[in-house]
Parts: sequence; C-alpha cells; structure tokens
Amino acid sequence: MELKMEAIYNKTLSATALIGFIAFTLLSMKTSPFSPEPLYGAITFSAIMLMGYFLTNYLLSGQDPALFILSSFITQLGLIMLYRINPAAFSKQINWYAIGVLTFILSSAVVRYCIKIRINPYFFLAVTVMLLAMPLLFGVEKGGSRSWIQLANYSFQPSEPAKVTFVLYLAGKLKHGKVENLLRLSAEILVVVGLLTLAKDLGGAMLFYLAAVALVFAATSRIDITAAGLAAAGIAAVSGYYFFAHVRIRVEAWLNPWQDVPGRGYQIVQSLFAIAQGGFFGTGLGMGHPEYIPAVTTDFIFSGFSEEFGFLGAAALTVVYFLLVYRGIKISLSAKESFSALAALGITTMFGLQIFTIIGGVIKLIPLTGVTLPFMSYGGSSMIMSFISLGILNGIRQSERGEEADG
Amino acid sequence: MDKLRKNIKIIFVIFCGLFISLIVYMSYFTAYERDRLIQSSYNRRLWEQEDKVLRGTIYDAKGRPLADTVVEGNIKKRVYPGGEAFGPLIGYSDRRFGRAGLEDALNSELLGVAEKDPMVLLRQKILGVSDRGSGVYLTIDSQLQGTAYRLFRGRRGALVAMDPSTGALLAVVSSPGYDAENLSNKWEGLLDNPDKPLINRATQGLYPPGSAFKIITLAAALTSHPEIEKKTYYTPGYVKINGRIIRDYEHLRPGDYDLRAAFRYSCNTVFIQIGQEVGPDNLFSMAEAFGFNAKLDTDIPIATSTMPKPPALGGEVELAEDSIGQGKILATPLQMARVASVIASGGKLATPYIVQKVVSPLGFEKSYNVQMPREVLDKTVADKVKALMVDVVKNGTGRPAGINGITVAGKTGSAENPHGKTHAWFVGFAPAENPKIAVAAVVENAGSGGANAGPIVKQVILQYITGLKK
Repeated sequence: MELKMEAIYNKTLSATALIGFIAFTLLSMKTSPFSPEPLYGAITFSAIMLMGYFLTNYLLSGQDPALFILSSFITQLGLIMLYRINPAAFSKQINWYAIGVLTFILSSAVVRYCIKIRINPYFFLAVTVMLLAMPLLFGVEKGGSRSWIQLANYSFQPSEPAKVTFVLYLAGKLKHGKVENLLRLSAEILVVVGLLTLAKDLGGAMLFYLAAVALVFAATSRIDITAAGLAAAGIAAVSGYYFFAHVRIRVEAWLNPWQDVPGRGYQIVQSLFAIAQGGFFGTGLGMGHPEYIPAVTTDFIFSGFSEEFGFLGAAALTVVYFLLVYRGIKISLSAKESFSALAALGITTMFGLQIFTIIGGVIKLIPLTGVTLPFMSYGGSSMIMSFISLGILNGIRQSERGEEADG
Repeated sequence: MDKLRKNIKIIFVIFCGLFISLIVYMSYFTAYERDRLIQSSYNRRLWEQEDKVLRGTIYDAKGRPLADTVVEGNIKKRVYPGGEAFGPLIGYSDRRFGRAGLEDALNSELLGVAEKDPMVLLRQKILGVSDRGSGVYLTIDSQLQGTAYRLFRGRRGALVAMDPSTGALLAVVSSPGYDAENLSNKWEGLLDNPDKPLINRATQGLYPPGSAFKIITLAAALTSHPEIEKKTYYTPGYVKINGRIIRDYEHLRPGDYDLRAAFRYSCNTVFIQIGQEVGPDNLFSMAEAFGFNAKLDTDIPIATSTMPKPPALGGEVELAEDSIGQGKILATPLQMARVASVIASGGKLATPYIVQKVVSPLGFEKSYNVQMPREVLDKTVADKVKALMVDVVKNGTGRPAGINGITVAGKTGSAENPHGKTHAWFVGFAPAENPKIAVAAVVENAGSGGANAGPIVKQVILQYITGLKK
C-alpha cells in the first residue's frame, strides 16, 4: 500500500517537473532571439522541488506528501505565469519558493513536537492583536488598504501570520466543545475583525470572521450561535454598504461593472475580458494579453492564467486547490484531540475561503476583495505563510501518525 | 469528538459546494457570457485583432462595395465609396471614435471573430487566410439609396424601402448624411451640427406618424366593424372632445363623407368618429399586430415604435388623437414601411433584414436566418385597405406620388409636432396588383405629406420598378 502510494507521488512529481520543462521551453521559444534563460528557471524550480521532496520525506516521518506536491504544482503554474508577465518578479518569487519550502519543513517539525505543549489561548490572541495593530501604527498603504509593513526593502502583511495565530487562539479557546462566555468570545473576535476593518482590509476581515464562525460551529454544534453569527455578518455587510463608500463601490462594480468601465468597473471588466478571451481551451501560453489586466501578478493572476490556459486549465487549477482543502479536512478528521482537529480545520477553512474569495471575485461570482491567491500570487508573505499553514497541517498529521506508531 | 468530526464533514460539504459553484459559474461564463464580452467595444483585444486582420468588405445587393479596406504601404485605410448617402447606415469603425452603424452591428463578422468552429479556424490558418475578415453582402440597392438620398436635397428626413413579401431592406436613407472617410477632420462639425447627421433617422428616429397611421385605424375598423364601410359621417370641419378642439386640414370642405372619401382626403374628424366606434382596445391590438410595441430581433439595431396602452377609464382625448396618429404614438420610418408592407402583402407582417449573406475568407457562404412573414391581418381586409390606398394616390391627397403606368397605393401624413411645421409623411407601395416595393418617407417640418414626401417616394418607386423590368 505504502509503496503503491509512493509510486503515485513520484509520478505526480515527475509530471510536475515535465509540465514545467514544457512550459518554460515554450517561453524560451517565444523569446526572440531564442534564449535559454527560461529553461534555467525550470531547472532551478525542479531542483528546489526535488530537494524539498526528498528532505521532507527524509526528515518528516509520517507526513502527508500530497501537501508538498500539490502546493509545488500550483507554485510552478504561478511561476510560469510570472515569468511570462515579468521575469524580474519570477526571480524574486523563486527565492520565496525556496524559503517557503524551508519554512514548510521547519513548521512541520516544530508543530509535530510542540502541539502537545498547552499554551494559553490568550497568548495567541495577544500576538494576533499585536500583529494586526502594527500596520495601523506604522504601516504603509498599498492598493487601498493599510495592511502592509515596510522593513528595509521588504514589505510584508502582518495579517498573514495573524491568520495562524488567530486560528490557534480559537482552537485553544474552543477545544472543550463549549463556549464558556459567549459575550467575551464575541468581543474578542470583534476586536480582531475590527482591526482589519480599520486597515480597510475588508476581504481579510471577512475571512477571519467566517473562519471564526466555522470553528465555533464545529466545536460547539450550536446552530443558534452559528446562525446568529452569520446573521450578524449579513447585517454588517448591508450596513457596510450604506455607511462605507468603498464597500458600496465594490458592490456596485460587482452588480454592474458596465456602468463605469473606465473607472469603478475597470479591474473586474479587464479580468472578465481576459477570461472570456481564453474560452474553453485558452489562447495558449504567451499568446494572451495579461498586461491588460491590472494587478495581474497578485490579485488577478487567476484571470491571466485563465486567458492562456482556458476554462479547462482554470477548472483543473481549482480542482487542485480543492484537493489541498480535502487533504486539510482529512488531517483534521484524523486528529484525536480536539485542539489539533480544530487547528487543522481552522487553517484549512482560512485557506479554502481565501481561494474561494479571490477566484469567485475575479470571475464576478461574488464582489471582489483584494486577497491573494495562495502559492500563485506574487509576494513573499503570502507564499511563506501559505507554506507555514501547510506545514502546520503536516505537523499535526505527523504527530497523529507518531502516536499511532508509538501506540 | 464524534460530533466534532460530523461538523467537520458538514464544513467539508460546504466547501464542496463552494468549489463546485466556482466551476459551474466558470462553465456558464465561458458558454454564455463569453461572446458578448469578446465583442465589447471596451475590449482592447478587439482592436488588437483589428490591427492584425484585414477588415471585411460590406457590399450592396449587386456586389458593389460600400465599405472597404485598402492597404497603402503598411497603412490600412477604411474607405466608403457610397459617400454621404450611406454614412448613417454603414457607420464607421475608428479607433478614436469607436464604431457605429453596420460597422458596429456586423463587427464580429467583418473581423472574422464570429467564426467559432475550431476546425474552420484551423483550416483558415493553414490556407493563410486567417488574417482576413468575412465579406458581408447587404440587401441594399445602392443606386436606389443614392437616388433617394439626393431627393431629400439636404432636408432632414428619412426613407425606408423594403421588399414587402420578404422584409429585405432595399434602401435605408437618413438625411442629412455624412461621408465616413477621414472622420477626424470633420468629427467636431458632425457632433455640433444641429441637424444631427450621425443619427440614423430611418431606424432610430421616432416620429408621430400623423395621418399615415389611419391605415391602422382603417384596418381595425374593417376588422371589428365591417358595416362601417357603408356608413357616412358628417363633419363640420372640427371636433371638440373634452374641451380639446381637433380640426380637419384647411382645405377640407365640411359635409358628409363615406369611408372612402374620408380616407381619400384624410379627414380627421371622421376618423375620430370611426375610432370611437372601434374603441381603444381594438385600435391598440391592431397597432400591436402591425408591429408596434415589439422589440425587433434583427441584424441591425432598430428603435421600438410605441403606442401607449389605453387607460382603463376616460381616455377620450387619447383615443381621438390615437385614431389620427397624433398624441403619444411614435414610429420609426422603418416601422411605417412595415405597415405599408402588411397591406401590400395581403396581411403579412415581415421582419426587416439587411444582411443577405456573409462570405468567409474560404468562400463559405452563411445566410442569416430570415424570419418568415406571419399573417396579422385578414386578407380581405388588407385588400379593401389596399383599394382605398390606390384611391388616395389616384384621386386624393396622394396624387403627387402617382406614376403613369404603375398603380401606386399610398397614404399621406402631416404630423403635428412641437418643433414647427408638420412632418411630411408618405407611406406606400407599388405596383398595387403585385407589390414589389414598400416605401415610407418622412421629411421633417416640411409641411404637407403629399406635396413634400410624395414626390420622393414616387421617384424611388419609379426607379426601382423600371430597374426590375430591365
């Protein structure tokens, strides 16, 4: 059984490397005069991926190899798109990937051995609040939201690590399967969501809030609290529409982007044009016009990908993301302690909701909120934190497996 | 723990739903929304395509080019050999000014992006013709169009000529027109011109039809109250309804009129009495049968001609005004040509069309779906109306449209409007025995219909029928 699975994993890994070589060869052929440079990219990526795979298999016994393979596959697709749009961004991103792989291994190991240590949930809450307060105090504004911190040449988004600490806080708080003081819990969640709202990071606020509702539901099975929580979210959304101009703009751009194409509707309309151009089969790598889409390396990378890889490519990518969510849920189900199960569920929920939010946003299924597409979007904090999230899932799985072996 | 596991599974099911909805929406988008987006004029990719592609030619019914792309060195230039007479109909395609007219409506054919069959696209690529758009052949007779345009002598107005049995448009004239070549030199002038040459009056202009609408009142009367044919009505020269006075035309003598005479001399007061007998609902449903209030699904955009639904109570004044085509009724010249066609074809309403066929670079011909005319009026009623229309041209207000040797049937209209003198209408067809052409013409603020619009229609009919005989 194990051997058979290993063979499947190896095949998947080889297929990923092969796809990379084909794509980067195409990009080489497209540059005129012919340049082998993109191929170096493929070689570098494959080297990092294979090394990472062997290292994880060697160091992390009882891990879930699918997590690493699937995330590397998505990262590679992102890298292909980045190279095609902007080779400079590609070189930076491949460094982030390498660092991401290391943090993946590191976080897996740390979580495996430290998950048993009981840390007061309020420690995690304090860290979350601190992280989220940071950009409000000394942050810089980027793309309309004040959620970035500038450190020397690097800027990073503290809300990314806050996702993890927030989930750990909730898991710790809810592990006994009941809410001891509903008022207090709600107030704590509201402080966190409020900080995000103050930073005008509405997508983030929604993610944090819905993840909290999901965890409360899973831990307590209380339909009443869950329903009240969702109703409160609905009321907040409606009043946000009436009281905040930027919420209204987003919603109107979603309902009818054609009213003001050069202005409010510009981003979403350009995204839709790109996806429409792709059709079922896509224009083919290098044949589309991702440069027409604003923020195509970050929020809108899915639109650029859809244009060149078509509906089939985009649907396949969505399925791969879904597989990651599926593995996360499986790990959560396999956990024997409620803290581990809740932590795994929380991280998976954050991750899955984020993917749904951004893909749904760029295809105009739901209003657009500026969140990144994990592993694909250009940017270090997103890449590293996505790998850390997977690392935590991996560590939880390892600790469960370890126990099995012991027992 | 078991409860927790169950809840985790519930959350997983929700995730399944979310991800499935993503893929379902993407499939829906690709299958249904895609075409509209690709052809949106906001889409920069379309202009990109435009640079790569040799835009197709628009031809008239006899294969004469009306819009063509010539290549001078490396520069592609769109030329419009038809000149001013075709400006509002053909429109323009320009990176700076966007697109209008048929250049806009037929854009995807002209660029060759309407072709969706991947095998055809592949074959075009192999044969090296993928950089060419399709040619579009119209049903328009460009000589007829040119003649009609000149007859307006720069006056504001419009004319539509169509084949009454099929709905094929033979001429769609809007005056004043413009020459779409070298648009950048004259754009400001065209925009500022108070006569608004950029608008296609024939398909977008909404006018009160005036007495030309009496064709519909007459058809409604003969359908619902056939005995009206034998009655006579008295007119003192005006009628007073709820305090509003509606007069007959100046030179109409007061006295007794039967239906034939009232139609011949376009007697308002008699038709108001007839309208009262017919009733608002019959009149309204007859107008809808003739194509009012229905959005036309055709290859060119056409404004919808409207008649408001009669109010449940009161509405005496409205009914009186509606019976003589005043009040709130609005019709495009194209709609009035359809009205004439219904009578000409013995009661069948044709859907107008302008594209005869599209020829792809590989030589494949694609015909557009022509909707079959459908019967909306009893043939005996249509024939009675036809006889009365022949009488109008022979002995009545329509005499200026009479032609020796060809029986012309018609109806004049002098529509009152808030902008000065009456709009002159003439709506007719010929030859009455076997109609080949139906025409509607309007000259804005020109005065009486017979004297001003009649001669234009006469010349158009004459040229078309003699052309057929050759």
